[in-house]
Amino acid sequence: MRKKRVTVTNMVLACFVFTIILPVVVLLLWTVTERWAWPDLFPQVFSMRALAGIFQKGGTLTRIFLSSIMISSVVAVLSVVIGTLTARALVLYEFRGKGLIHFLTVLPFMVPATAFAMGIQIAFIKMGLNNTVMGVVVSHLICSLPYAVRLMMDGTAAVGDRLEEQARVLGASAVQAFVRVTLPVLVPVLLSAFSMSYIVSFSQYFLTLLIGGGQVRTFTVVMVPYLLSGERNIACAYSVIFLGVTLAVFGIFEKIADRWSRNMDTEFYA
Amino acid sequence: MKRKLTPYLLLVPQILLTILFLIGLVTGITQSLGVIPAFGLTEPTLMYYKEVLTKPDLLKSVLFSLKLAFSSALMSTAAGVCLCAMLVLSRRTKGKMMRIVQLPIIVPHVVVALFVINICSQNGLLARVCYRLGMIGEQQEFPMLIYDSHGLGIIFAYLWKEIPFIVYFVIALMANIDGKLGEASVNLGANRFQTFFRVTLPLCLHAICSGFLIIFVFALGAYELPFILGATAPKALPVQAYIQYTHPDLRNRPYAMALNGMIIVISLVSAWVYFVLMRKNMKNLTIRE
Amino acid sequence: MKKRIVACFMTIVMIFGLAACGNNGQKEEDTKGGKKESDMTFDELKEAAKGSTVTFYGWGGDELLNEWLDDVFAPAMKEEYDITMERVPMDIDQVLSQLSGELQAGEKDGSIDMIWINGENFQSAKENNMLYGPFVEKLPNFEEYIDTESEDVTLDFAYPIEGYEAPYGKAQMVMIADTAVTPDLPKNTDELKEFAENNKGKVTYPALPDFTGSVFVRNVIYDICGYEQFLDMEADKETVKEAIEPALEYLRQLNPYLWNEGKTFPDSSTTMDNMFADGELVLNMTYDAFGTSIKIEDGTYTETTQSFQFDKGTIGNTNFMAIAANSGNKAGAMVAINEMMSPKIQADRYDTMKVLPVVDYDKLSDEQKEAFDKVDLGKGNIPQDELLSKRLPEMPAKLVPIIEEIWLEEVVGK
Repeated sequence: MRKKRVTVTNMVLACFVFTIILPVVVLLLWTVTERWAWPDLFPQVFSMRALAGIFQKGGTLTRIFLSSIMISSVVAVLSVVIGTLTARALVLYEFRGKGLIHFLTVLPFMVPATAFAMGIQIAFIKMGLNNTVMGVVVSHLICSLPYAVRLMMDGTAAVGDRLEEQARVLGASAVQAFVRVTLPVLVPVLLSAFSMSYIVSFSQYFLTLLIGGGQVRTFTVVMVPYLLSGERNIACAYSVIFLGVTLAVFGIFEKIADRWSRNMDTEFYA
Repeated sequence: MKRKLTPYLLLVPQILLTILFLIGLVTGITQSLGVIPAFGLTEPTLMYYKEVLTKPDLLKSVLFSLKLAFSSALMSTAAGVCLCAMLVLSRRTKGKMMRIVQLPIIVPHVVVALFVINICSQNGLLARVCYRLGMIGEQQEFPMLIYDSHGLGIIFAYLWKEIPFIVYFVIALMANIDGKLGEASVNLGANRFQTFFRVTLPLCLHAICSGFLIIFVFALGAYELPFILGATAPKALPVQAYIQYTHPDLRNRPYAMALNGMIIVISLVSAWVYFVLMRKNMKNLTIRE
Repeated sequence: MKKRIVACFMTIVMIFGLAACGNNGQKEEDTKGGKKESDMTFDELKEAAKGSTVTFYGWGGDELLNEWLDDVFAPAMKEEYDITMERVPMDIDQVLSQLSGELQAGEKDGSIDMIWINGENFQSAKENNMLYGPFVEKLPNFEEYIDTESEDVTLDFAYPIEGYEAPYGKAQMVMIADTAVTPDLPKNTDELKEFAENNKGKVTYPALPDFTGSVFVRNVIYDICGYEQFLDMEADKETVKEAIEPALEYLRQLNPYLWNEGKTFPDSSTTMDNMFADGELVLNMTYDAFGTSIKIEDGTYTETTQSFQFDKGTIGNTNFMAIAANSGNKAGAMVAINEMMSPKIQADRYDTMKVLPVVDYDKLSDEQKEAFDKVDLGKGNIPQDELLSKRLPEMPAKLVPIIEEIWLEEVVGK
């Protein structure tokens, strides 16, 4: 009985993994494909045109990459921090206007970017934030924050503040109690929130263009025109790089979070 | 007194950003009322809403969008939660498995569209395999899975992207609860599956519903996938808005904004329903008082 | 109590909103460093532009063009004029969105200098005072090498240019098929229908308002209804509908033989390019008249692929460069646009990208002519004189969206 259940689980998971991986493999194949006509299962004409083109631009692309990663990391960190604060306020406190603010935190989900982007652009021009990295970061933050808030609210609600209160009773300050008690438990949720915010920012095209005015270049701004151009091998090559780099960034942050939470753990229990 | 101020202090950055967002939104709404001074449109009017609402194919578009968004969200959430449960129960919530789950989340929607075309179109890998196996003799015999008027291709694309999203959105919390409370209730003699369904799942319900709502509202408002994978008619609502938005005559902008306004209204209504349904749940989760 | 807070909040929002909305409607009248650009001679412009940066906004999906702009044009500008060219890949609707936002907010030192534009977008931008001009008469290469009287240069989709944009390259619609698969190429709409009947389910065109799908439908209209009547037609839906009714009937009759029986059309010309390359379709169409040879060389198309046109001709247009009304570097933009029209650069574009040149062949020196003569067009293309001899003018820009709307109502799925 138990064994059977395990095999079923494994089979379902295998299907799931296969469905995810298959298109990605095809994507990899397309980076070196020039023609792949019906009905062959493998491409007929291969070429290195797309890869060669990208390597030629290696220097510029690396620079664009580094700045994109910087921008998105800053956005992700900020939105995790703000998200945590907001979540604490909304979950652990009762105050006037709570319902309204709760509602406003989710609102950006529901509004298509084209509906508010133009207004934000005008406001940013007046504040002198347009065409600056700062402006791009703030505009990304508006889009990524709802994800962080949602995740952090669920996390905060699950953890609660009973442990923190016990720590307070034992003489810890409010900040100490939060950092030492709640934060380590929240690490997995923090990490999810970070990744979600990062990816929302990293793949943001429309707002980056509008607020960055083309002066702030992110990788997505360079990549999307190719995705829409129908040049499949170039589009696929860019996508592969995009995926690889993002996964690497996530991996690194997971390592950092892991080490950090382990340190916190031992410190706490010792 | 200090205690009373705390929540407001915590909310300062959030509120600042919200104000910025609202400025943008208000400008968008003003535009839908036909006020864009830069193009010489200054008189507020409801004309654009009227015209948009009396379009013959509008109702079809609205229903199509709702159907798409609802079925994508429902199926993704259901499948996502099942998978998530499997992962938690078989203790595979870290490492390689999570890397694979992350993959669809980071793939941009336009690339997902490319995937679906590569695999499911009449020219895709599936059709080619069927041809090789002798199941079809001609390319045209393969069923239209994308570009069809039911939006199957769009739903496939959303499923591919959003099932892992649900897994990712819920798994951290679920693993956390299952780890903490699961142990306790197993110690008390409950079996792991009972524990999961009686304790862990109900506690995750709120996160699961959030995930559902996010997907639903996103699918309702996004134009990329329906634009690339949808049929020429009926068109999803955001596609209509997008076409108006890219209309070369900039004075057509108010139509786009009016259509966006309708998307917002539909989203808000669904959000309100969601809030009503969630209120009870929220109270359970709010620990204070 | 709760209500009051809401009210407070909304008030704050409204104030911000109003602040964001007010203070618009500025006109182009900025003077930088004392003298207006419109009063400067070209040499003074060159001097003023030295050491500056010019941004060039335009569609960025063509890798060959991107590389050429980055690796050939930009270094040439740097060397000759000490101007740094910055290419910003952006679709035209987003360019206009950004520009209108900047203008609405009263930004004087705008981020957009040069814009790649034509047709309805140009008309809309010009009518909304979003462009700087007139400026082309100031450019020596425009006066010297371009046939300033030809309608390709004075009219853009039948809309008078009046010096607000300078020609960049020429395009003409051609159809493409693989002669190994379909040896007989249709020469008119009747033969096209036969062609579709013989290749049931393998012929289609991109869904309007796609650029290429739209020009194909206009071409069908020209072939069936003639083109002269449209050049001064009133932009009225009923009038247009009546005039194109025979063509609509033809398109409806075509539907049963099309891909997916004309219930659905590919979303864009790029999707269709891929479907053709994959063998899912036997007919393709493009604005890029000489692009076939490049795709054959790359291996995307087979060696036997051939472009062709209707006997009565196909629609051609010119694409242009314009300057944003609030450009922070109008002098630099003018110098760059001037350079783009030089015979040397145009010959290089013709050679590397097979773009139809905008310079007037008769105005060139023998040496310059040679640069154009020696370009090998490669396989699969229609010879240039034949192509240009069957070049039809575009319809007035205002008719285009009307036809697109009618098509959606009267043809799709009917």
